[in-house]
Amino acid sequence: MKMSLVRPLLTRRRFSTSSENLVASVLFERLPVVIPKIDPMVYAFQEFSFRWRQQYQRRYPDEFLDKSDARGKGDYQIDYVPAPRITEADKSNDRRSLQRALDRRLYLLLYGNAYGAPGGKPVWHFPEKVYESEDTMRKCAESALESVLGDLSGTYFVGNAPMAHMVVRPTEDQSVSTSFKRFFFKSQVIAKNEFNIGKCEDFVWVTKDEMMEYFPQQSEFLNKMIIS
Amino acid sequence: MLRLLKPKPIPSGHHLIQRCAVSGTAKGKAKIKAGQALKRSRITTKKPGSESKPGGPTGSREKQERERLYEQCLQAPTPLRYLTQKQREREAEREKLGLISKERQREIDMMKKKNEKYKVSEKPTIIGTPGLDYVSLGLVDVEKLPKYELTVEDGRRLAKEYSRVLMRKHRARQAAESTLLRLKKEAIEALPEGLREAALVPDLSPFPVNRFMATLTPPIQGYIDQVREAANKISGMEKIRMLPRKKPVILFVSTLEWDCYLQFACME
Repeated sequence: MKMSLVRPLLTRRRFSTSSENLVASVLFERLPVVIPKIDPMVYAFQEFSFRWRQQYQRRYPDEFLDKSDARGKGDYQIDYVPAPRITEADKSNDRRSLQRALDRRLYLLLYGNAYGAPGGKPVWHFPEKVYESEDTMRKCAESALESVLGDLSGTYFVGNAPMAHMVVRPTEDQSVSTSFKRFFFKSQVIAKNEFNIGKCEDFVWVTKDEMMEYFPQQSEFLNKMIIS
Repeated sequence: MLRLLKPKPIPSGHHLIQRCAVSGTAKGKAKIKAGQALKRSRITTKKPGSESKPGGPTGSREKQERERLYEQCLQAPTPLRYLTQKQREREAEREKLGLISKERQREIDMMKKKNEKYKVSEKPTIIGTPGLDYVSLGLVDVEKLPKYELTVEDGRRLAKEYSRVLMRKHRARQAAESTLLRLKKEAIEALPEGLREAALVPDLSPFPVNRFMATLTPPIQGYIDQVREAANKISGMEKIRMLPRKKPVILFVSTLEWDCYLQFACME
């Protein structure tokens, strides 16, 4: 059977893939905490329409408007100073903290021994695990994340299906002889501010642009897989 | 079997009066001018002659105050009146003749007043509560905003740019989402047989309830504890502290952006 592996993303295999190795890796993301910046054109138009409408709005007497200030019992709020959108982690560029880049998504990257890394040296990779006869690939991915984080209380796996895959062909200096498929599963951070990341030498939380520094060869694949 | 139709009863005399096209009734002959108070909206206080007021003069003063407030609200003015072209020309001609209508007089008085509320705002205004609006929070680059006047042509130009920007973003997002779906389909097809059926099972377990929604400002550590202890301390009183006074201006919520953002954040 001819293997037509013209591009790493095409899979036109004719034989059964039972002898292949499958790796489940997890794209662990933290959703944005603050709304993103507004385009000046959008804001200008909305300001214009607000002022235009206000020209024709009726002006009511002040004592009438003050009647809405009466508050019922049990409706407590304290005056507060809004927290700044650019945190100290932003200024110090501390990539290990989750408080950085609050208006973008952050993804977890580990530095350690990955499956299929060239020469067995530590590289930057997503949390992953080789598939070994579990029920589904999603369970494999969950156990991968569990081994890194300790427990899955702060995570939510989105759906049973993988979100993308890549076929990794072996080169000469790699530790693995056959090519294997890496499936990505999406999971999101739920209601947790910090994690204890174990089982690796180093970890970072990066935005999409910074991730391109860590994976220069796969930039177009990552551009397709991650929107922002 | 043929059935004879009942002859339609001729309405007595109604077909001779001009009929309204929609409701089928005779149109009211007394036309109401624009801006004139509708008769229904006047508050008619029936003063029964036999009843005597308990409070005496104070009672009627309060009542007068209330009546005055109602009047002010019902006849609340606008800084700019909405007039058609024909009405504007007519007003200009009348002014040449020296006749000034009541509304026009009111407009002139308002322009002479010092209060800023009654004028058309010249500078860009703050939308929403003063501390928590987009400009002071740094969400908008004030320098990059285009300059514009409050005219129709400028409005049209701004609207075209706005539409262009949003459509570009929308199309980009649609393309990115279809790419995601395509990648997902390919990934599922690349799975071996048994795992593929497991992946195709839709995951109907409910979404986590505490998934954090992006807000205007980041959450303050320990705020909820402050609120709780303050509430416990002063559980007898009506209210702890008044919030800074907010005028009920129409709050500025860009629903278009918000919907797109919602879709974006929760998408699989």
